[in-house]
Amino acid sequence: MKTKLIAAFLAVAALFAGCNKKSDTPAPPGGALTIGVAFETLQTEYWVAGFEAIRADLKNRGHTMLEAVADQDANRQIEQVKNFITRKVDGIIMVPKDAKTCLPAIKAANAANIPIVLFNRPADKSDARSVAVVADNFSLTRDTVAYLVSEARKGGKKLKAAVLLGDLGDLNAIGRRDGFEAAIKGNEDIIEVVARIPTEWNQEKAQAGVVNALQANPDIGFIFTSSDFLFPSIVSALKSAGKYHKAGEPGHVILGGFDGDATAWQMLQDGYLDATGVQDVYFEAAKSMEAVLDLRAGKTVPELILDPGFVIHRGNMAEKSAQMWGARMSAKK
Amino acid sequence: MTAFLRRALLSDYFVLGLCVVYAAAVAPFTPGFLSSENLTNILTTLLPLLVVALGQTVVLIAGGIDLSATAVIGLASITGAMAMNDETGWLAHSPLAAPAGVALMLAVGAGVGACNGFAVARWRMPPFMVTLAAMMGFSGLAVWLTHSKNINALPAAFTMLGGRTAVAFAITLAVAVLAQLLLSRSLFGRWLYAVGHNPRAALISGVPVGGVVFSAYVVSGLLAALASVLYTGQAETGSPVLGQRILLDVIGATVIGGTSLFGGKGKVLWTVFGVLFLKLVDNSLNLLSLSVFTITMAKGAVILLAACLDSARARLGNP
Repeated sequence: MKTKLIAAFLAVAALFAGCNKKSDTPAPPGGALTIGVAFETLQTEYWVAGFEAIRADLKNRGHTMLEAVADQDANRQIEQVKNFITRKVDGIIMVPKDAKTCLPAIKAANAANIPIVLFNRPADKSDARSVAVVADNFSLTRDTVAYLVSEARKGGKKLKAAVLLGDLGDLNAIGRRDGFEAAIKGNEDIIEVVARIPTEWNQEKAQAGVVNALQANPDIGFIFTSSDFLFPSIVSALKSAGKYHKAGEPGHVILGGFDGDATAWQMLQDGYLDATGVQDVYFEAAKSMEAVLDLRAGKTVPELILDPGFVIHRGNMAEKSAQMWGARMSAKK
Repeated sequence: MTAFLRRALLSDYFVLGLCVVYAAAVAPFTPGFLSSENLTNILTTLLPLLVVALGQTVVLIAGGIDLSATAVIGLASITGAMAMNDETGWLAHSPLAAPAGVALMLAVGAGVGACNGFAVARWRMPPFMVTLAAMMGFSGLAVWLTHSKNINALPAAFTMLGGRTAVAFAITLAVAVLAQLLLSRSLFGRWLYAVGHNPRAALISGVPVGGVVFSAYVVSGLLAALASVLYTGQAETGSPVLGQRILLDVIGATVIGGTSLFGGKGKVLWTVFGVLFLKLVDNSLNLLSLSVFTITMAKGAVILLAACLDSARARLGNP
């Protein structure tokens, strides 16, 4: 019996012995750093792409990454950041659950003198010190929707529009909503917004919202989504209503999105999608790591670093595809 | 089965022993696991989970289950925040904001518990369905009330309840002591075990079964709301989705400790050890920087093992 217990103990110990992986890349000048990367979720392609972009950037620089994913639990994320502090990491890159609940985690990092950079989502204004690398949601959405409006003008007919809004606790969602409204303003002669659908970044809610909007307004001819990951829901609703047609075909609904994922890339290639605003995830990953290094070196870093992104449409997709993370993900499959 | 193994499985300290063995096995390979900082982190995250797990323990002993605990956490969080916050709160900047906010949160928890208890005790509805419906309904209500937005600017007098480990520890200790006295030294406690063990026999013996079951759910709701006070204080934000993901942890930790899913069996001490074990596993896997999917699978395996052990202990206790 005693022998079996000792054997079980050793088996458990051996299981964990293999878990502490070390990097094989040679250390950079100044020594290899350990960076804690805390993501709220990996539930969409964008976050997976961002995670992998940060991992690749750290590997190229010869640093070690510790990873944590909070599975959308704010308290868990605070706990994970505190675990990084316990591990005495040299820097933290975090995707906060939202702008408010990340503040205790940032304050904990500040108290431990560990630089903390927020990836893609900024924090609310407070005395918690951090740097945020975010897409210029407002400008990129405005430019994307402006392109879609110009396409609508070519048809010469006033169109009814639906817009899918994100979780309004997420400043990104607010920026995109404001960018949409800014692009529509002054173009009410060609676009009439009949549905503003709150999705809370949930595909089921998005689908239900679009189905309801199409039932109430069967002649909707323009749909913009605040994130490309909601396209499967939109496409499903359009197909059910018999309204999913390629550009140039009768009944085509002008479609636009934001992010630049693999689904959007496929829809662009197939001719169903008119344009999407692409977040340059590789730019954001590199700038996040540069911000950590600059903060460690005591340099002054702006609180907000903007990723300008770019609009991709059928007219420029050949030249822009190399920069589009969704296109690169598709190419890997 | 050997006498040693039988004694070990039936011992009150079996899970504590598991905690010690696990910690000893993991510590050499997990940097910082036994550091004072990490042990403090474990304690900080363990306390609110223990409070809600104690409520779950009471309901499980009575032969029921409460799936709505996480919805209570979210609903109580935003209700208290709506009352207390310094920007738009009904009690903004009032010295009574924090105590009134806490009272309101506890009232919300007790109210949800009362709804559950009434449906189970009076209408004889299955606890699983009642509390599942409550979970969906009340979590939806929380999101609807706030339009998914979080509420911050909470008074410091409130956030310190969960934000300062010493204060949270004192609150949790008081709850654990009260729960222990309730279960082991009160008539209600004896009734609770009797109802969970055999409700028909309890009824024939004169136990007010309906009242006991009703009260068990009220206690569970109250303790879920108290856990919400601690979680909200830690996050410094009222959130309608607070605690949404911890239901498996709550039930799992309670069952790991030894509280039976079949009713009639459970102790405060067992739940303390169960929560400690789950938190040690969670913390160590986080420190090892394993992916969230690996951690989730590992925790699922641990909870499944706990359910098997519960079954084995039930058979050993009733040869």
